[in-house]
Amino acid sequence: MFAPSGLKIAESVPLNRARTEPAVVRWLLIATALLFLGFFLLTPLIVIFAEALQKGFALYLESFKDPEAWAAIRLTLLTAAIAVPLNLVFGVAAAWAIAKFNFVGKNVLTTLIDLPFAVSPVISGMIFVLLFGMQGWLGPWLQEHEIKIIFAVPGIVLATIFVTFPFVARELIPLMQAQGTEEEEAAIVLGASGWQTFFRITVPNIKWGLLYGVILCNARAMGEFGAVSVVSGHIRGLTNTMPLHVEILYNEYNFVAAFAVASLLALLALVTLAAKRFVEWKSHQPSVGQR
Amino acid sequence: MSIEIRRVTKQFGDFAALKNIDLTVNTGELVALLGPSGSGKTTLLRIMAGLETPDSGEILFHGENATDRSVRDRHVGFVFQHYALFKHMTVFENVAFGLRVRPRSNRPSNEEIRAKVHSLLQLVQLDRMESNYPSQLSGGQRQRVALARALAVEPKMLLLDEPFGALDAKIRQELRLWLRRLHDELHITSVFVTHDQEEALEVADRIVVMNEGRIEQVGTPEEVYDHPVNPFVYHFLGNVNLFHSRVGEGRVKIGPLEIDAPEHAAAQDTPAVAYVRPHDIEIERHKNGQPAIAALIQHIQSVGPVVRLQLNRQDTGQMIEAELSKERYRELGLKAGEVVFIKPRHWTVYQGEGI
Ligand SMILES: Nc1ncnc2c1ncn2[C@@H]1O[C@H](COP(=O)(O)OP(=O)(O)O)[C@@H](O)[C@H]1O
Ligand SMILES: [Mg+2]
Repeated sequence: MFAPSGLKIAESVPLNRARTEPAVVRWLLIATALLFLGFFLLTPLIVIFAEALQKGFALYLESFKDPEAWAAIRLTLLTAAIAVPLNLVFGVAAAWAIAKFNFVGKNVLTTLIDLPFAVSPVISGMIFVLLFGMQGWLGPWLQEHEIKIIFAVPGIVLATIFVTFPFVARELIPLMQAQGTEEEEAAIVLGASGWQTFFRITVPNIKWGLLYGVILCNARAMGEFGAVSVVSGHIRGLTNTMPLHVEILYNEYNFVAAFAVASLLALLALVTLAAKRFVEWKSHQPSVGQR
Repeated sequence: MSIEIRRVTKQFGDFAALKNIDLTVNTGELVALLGPSGSGKTTLLRIMAGLETPDSGEILFHGENATDRSVRDRHVGFVFQHYALFKHMTVFENVAFGLRVRPRSNRPSNEEIRAKVHSLLQLVQLDRMESNYPSQLSGGQRQRVALARALAVEPKMLLLDEPFGALDAKIRQELRLWLRRLHDELHITSVFVTHDQEEALEVADRIVVMNEGRIEQVGTPEEVYDHPVNPFVYHFLGNVNLFHSRVGEGRVKIGPLEIDAPEHAAAQDTPAVAYVRPHDIEIERHKNGQPAIAALIQHIQSVGPVVRLQLNRQDTGQMIEAELSKERYRELGLKAGEVVFIKPRHWTVYQGEGI
């Protein structure tokens, strides 16, 4: 589909010919890209579903009846349900502060937001173990009060929040900076309160960027392996999220069940991609109301 | 409502944007803040609105101290330089916004809001555009939506930042006459910012000339144009020719001419500059026995009611601009390349080297 229309453009716009590579080069580039994509993205996807369904659809469904699989799914959903809203609030607040105010420490905050991207997830997990683990700084105190964070659900949630917190803020900062503060000022001069200004002016202006950030944040929250693995303790039926459960099943040579759970994560990825495409399309549409 | 600004200063870091500003805007007046870019006009306007806090000094609304009053409680209408329309709302919703965000107790009903918005859109001649979005409007239309939106809350004063700055010359001309008429109809105390002296001279009741964070002069258009208090104001309000010379005992010598400067009677051979507007340069074909400066006509621009000449002083080579009416131009029958005789009709002499 791409190549013929590309050729047509080259023919109908003669001026462009000088800049257009010879057809062979073009085909080579496209073929390389497609091969690469096919090998690294498409094949694994097919393998996941093929393996999951290799002993039939009935057995595939059977995998989800396992209470441990269920527990993993529930824990993943719970983690995302806590981490995503918190990061939404944090992301909006941080982006707002950075984009619309000048304050001491602004540069530090901007850099800190990127920290989870810069640090290996395993290290992120280790930080929490160091803080809250038995031998950690707060370990004795937590033990005294019978609060369990590491090798328990709170640790998983904390690690997930940490790993996913840049997504929303990263998405919003450039957007809010580009939009400036004039519309908000106009609203306040017209008598709007701070909340009215936020919900009636700011949110509508950033809603697509916000949604985009939330989608990415959610995908990562559900799929995170490294950081969660360190703090989870891999207690079956209690502290295993879906990615962790997949690993355990795989190590036990229970391939059908492993790939069945993995197929759910793959589906999540596909849904995320589709949603991301949709949001991109929506936000770039030259529709009314958008400039 | 009157606005009084008392000894207001404002710093941005090390930079003094406003230095000790004193200004009174009377009830019902239309005042222009005129000055070059960066002179602090927007900052002063934003301080009036409460969008910026002064470092020191006071602001009085109707005689009451309003320095610490919040933006919401000032009840001003503000038209932003780039309009700042809500781009996700229709024209109707933009104008209705200020009414919709009122506390429930004094929020008008939907019908009242609709009636009010319609009457405002009629006033700004946009009644057929109510369901359009800002992105579908021209610059002039956006400008008028911004104005209607500001008026919807029945502000006690209207502040406009370069209201016509971003528009084409023709629309600009139309809109400023329209603003003047609107003001005469509504009589709302208004302050507008502009860097265009023609705009200020044409529209405003009074002009505040600003420069580098200070007010240079306040006066009616005639006052600031005809009696500028210093060279800056003289320069800023229109084209001007400078004759560098020396003043002594109330007389200034310009080439073969000698002009009076009685206000400098005490000066003894001090450097001075005589400022003469192009339309105050008198042109004659012949000397008629009186002293006059010989000048060569280099260029004539004769389109429109006023003819503009570019002349070259024969004795010093200085370029001089002159303006005369079309009738006078025809009467004299001037052509480029001819030598004529000029002398100033009105002038102002300032001591110093001029700017
Ligand atoms: N928020 C700000 N931070 C720093 N400097 C500012 C700010 N606002 C204005 N300034 C500076 O103050 C000076 C006056 O600005 P402004 O009032 O916008 O001038 P004008 O409207 O006359 O062009 C300018 O030099 C501008 O750079
Ligand atoms: Mg300005």
